[in-house]
Amino acid sequence: MPPPAPAERLSHAREDSPTEGMLMTTTASSARPARSHRNPFARASVGFVLPAMVLVAILLYIPFVYTTYLSFTEFSGLGTPEFIGWENYVTVFTDPTILRSLVNTAMWVVGTLVLPVGLGLLLAVLAHGIKGSAWYRLPFLLPYAISGVAVGLVWTFILQTDGALTEALRFFGLPGADARWLLDWPLNTFVMIVAATWQGAGVNALLFGIGLQSIPKEPIEAARIDGASGWNLFRYVTWPMLTPLTTVVIGLAIVGSLKTFDIVWAMTKGGPGRASETLALTMFKETFTEYKYGLGAALAVVLTIVTVTSALLYLRRQLAPAKEF
Amino acid sequence: MAGHFRPIAIALAGAALVLSACTSAPAPTQSADPGTGSSTPPAVTEPTTLNFFTDKAAWEPSFDQMNAASESTGITLSFSGYSDPTAYDAFIKQAFQTKKVPDLFTWHTGDQLKQLVDQGLIAETTPLWADAAAKGLVPDGLIDNYTYDGKQYCVPLNVAYWAMYYNKHVFADNGIAVPTTWDELMAASQKLVDAGVTPFHQMNFIFEFVWFQTLVLGIDPAVYRGLGTGESSFLDPAVVQAMELWKEMGSKGFFIDPGVQTDPQTLLSTGQVAMANFGTFFTGQLTSIDQVSGEDYGIFVIPSVNPQVKNQMVLETGPLCVGAGAEHEQAALAYSGWWFTDDAQTVWSDSRGDVSFNPNVPVKDPELAALVAAANSPDVELQPRFLEMVPNAIYTTEAEVMGDFVTNWGDPMEALKKMQASADEHWGK
Repeated sequence: MPPPAPAERLSHAREDSPTEGMLMTTTASSARPARSHRNPFARASVGFVLPAMVLVAILLYIPFVYTTYLSFTEFSGLGTPEFIGWENYVTVFTDPTILRSLVNTAMWVVGTLVLPVGLGLLLAVLAHGIKGSAWYRLPFLLPYAISGVAVGLVWTFILQTDGALTEALRFFGLPGADARWLLDWPLNTFVMIVAATWQGAGVNALLFGIGLQSIPKEPIEAARIDGASGWNLFRYVTWPMLTPLTTVVIGLAIVGSLKTFDIVWAMTKGGPGRASETLALTMFKETFTEYKYGLGAALAVVLTIVTVTSALLYLRRQLAPAKEF
Repeated sequence: MAGHFRPIAIALAGAALVLSACTSAPAPTQSADPGTGSSTPPAVTEPTTLNFFTDKAAWEPSFDQMNAASESTGITLSFSGYSDPTAYDAFIKQAFQTKKVPDLFTWHTGDQLKQLVDQGLIAETTPLWADAAAKGLVPDGLIDNYTYDGKQYCVPLNVAYWAMYYNKHVFADNGIAVPTTWDELMAASQKLVDAGVTPFHQMNFIFEFVWFQTLVLGIDPAVYRGLGTGESSFLDPAVVQAMELWKEMGSKGFFIDPGVQTDPQTLLSTGQVAMANFGTFFTGQLTSIDQVSGEDYGIFVIPSVNPQVKNQMVLETGPLCVGAGAEHEQAALAYSGWWFTDDAQTVWSDSRGDVSFNPNVPVKDPELAALVAAANSPDVELQPRFLEMVPNAIYTTEAEVMGDFVTNWGDPMEALKKMQASADEHWGK
């Protein structure tokens, strides 16, 4: 039988003899200052960390606290903010324009999970194991090097009335030539998600590809010997083993889609009217074009809570210990 | 003991570094009397460089030329240009929350200027306007855009007269003469539609208000002005008539689909639209694509819908403002006074290729010269632009409602009720 671990020994000593237990406890507690004594830089290290903490506080915590404060005020950017209680939050959940933004943002979250993530996974799986698969994935990765605004401009050229797509459909006599891609809701939100897919699917494929390459061959071979193949092999063996990568990709997709701004700004400016605005765009417009800093701050707080909560819930569920498959 | 102080010392040093990184240059010495703008600014005795901010980053070459021209006065500008107007507006407002007040900056007339004036953030320019008016350097009516409670603030950076630009080749090809009445304009539009040409340019954002202002002005200018003060209702019969006429024109195919996002100057020069309702700044955009004034395009005053109403023209103007309490407030006021002069405006007009507010400055472009002459004639009445005339809260509702209206040609009454609800909320009815 192996000797008990130190903690176990201490526990046994307490049970066997109160005096011995006290002795051991005293010894254990007196060991703490001794440990501290061994590291003379322990306190100095606080000083080294403090500037970074101050920087984080100034750049992140203080702005957030100030934004939260502003969200309870009416403020045009000039003069002194006037405290108005929960009024801005009531507006956030009752104003039809903002509720439309919430719907659009939800469409972006679902759409981003289905299209860029789903397509990325499909590309990665199809390319996996093929000779020269990197070359197959490369073209899909190229749009990721372009900024969101540039992607928006390119797709605006394609989708605007009498744009490239309409002209092509008209030329080939195909249906859809009369569609107003960027003018009708929810069609405009859908086509903007397609544009985002064009940009984002490649990098997701890359990440999933790395995940697939990191899966050990043994379980796959064992599953094959047991008769698994095709969809069953993917569903019950490959997919569960991809979980760490899937967690990262989906987590990033959720956070990224909740704060969608640039591509919508470049393609429709949130219009026509305010039909295609997302929460991030509404926050920007309320603050900087309508000068309702308080309402913009309330939207920022709500958006932050939604983003952090969804990310935490997702990550907690995915990264929970003792997950078996 | 030294060990106890070490973390504190390191923390303090770190905090000092952070603070030094976050702190800007030492705060400028505040003017003893920010309100001294009410008297004639003293002459500047030593060369001064003003901190100048603008959202017109692309105009830097013009301001460089102005610096060369103003060198003899001893005052020049240190140019800081922003490309994003929204970011610029936020920056200026933020600057007034600090001690770093801008010496000189460009802004917007209307409600946005009123906000700064109400907060006491702008230096008064009443004596400068009195002097300019006495010397005949400003046209009648322009001062209204800069007057609050009988006092003037800022000086005009630029002006733009709104009129109809048209493609001369398209007009010639279709045998269309420049319309002088509304009926002639509508007949010409129908002829263009029949020939497969879209008559008018239109946008569903930024400039979605343009045709609304044109039609309401052409039907009843008094009602139009009342929309800016709350004395008129958006449900007034004149406004309803304007909206119904607008929709009728839309249903006849008179406007380009707002989903076309090609530049208006390209659309006009290529004949995809025959006419574009714009301010005179549009001349610069046409010149940039090698269009020749008088050959490729012309400009005409838009005739009023109601023949009983004198022709209306919108005069848009952007201000050049001095921050109250700025480090070089007096020098900035002296520069503002110089800005009115024939010398300054001649350089500015030549540099921009645009009209000057100063009637003594000759307009070289023949089309612009004719337009400015018409604008200053008794046959035309000048009006403020809708965007600056109405409070920002009403404008933002209008932008949303009209943007949707010109896209989908929905129910005019539904759109106007939304507008009036916004107006009622603002005016507290």
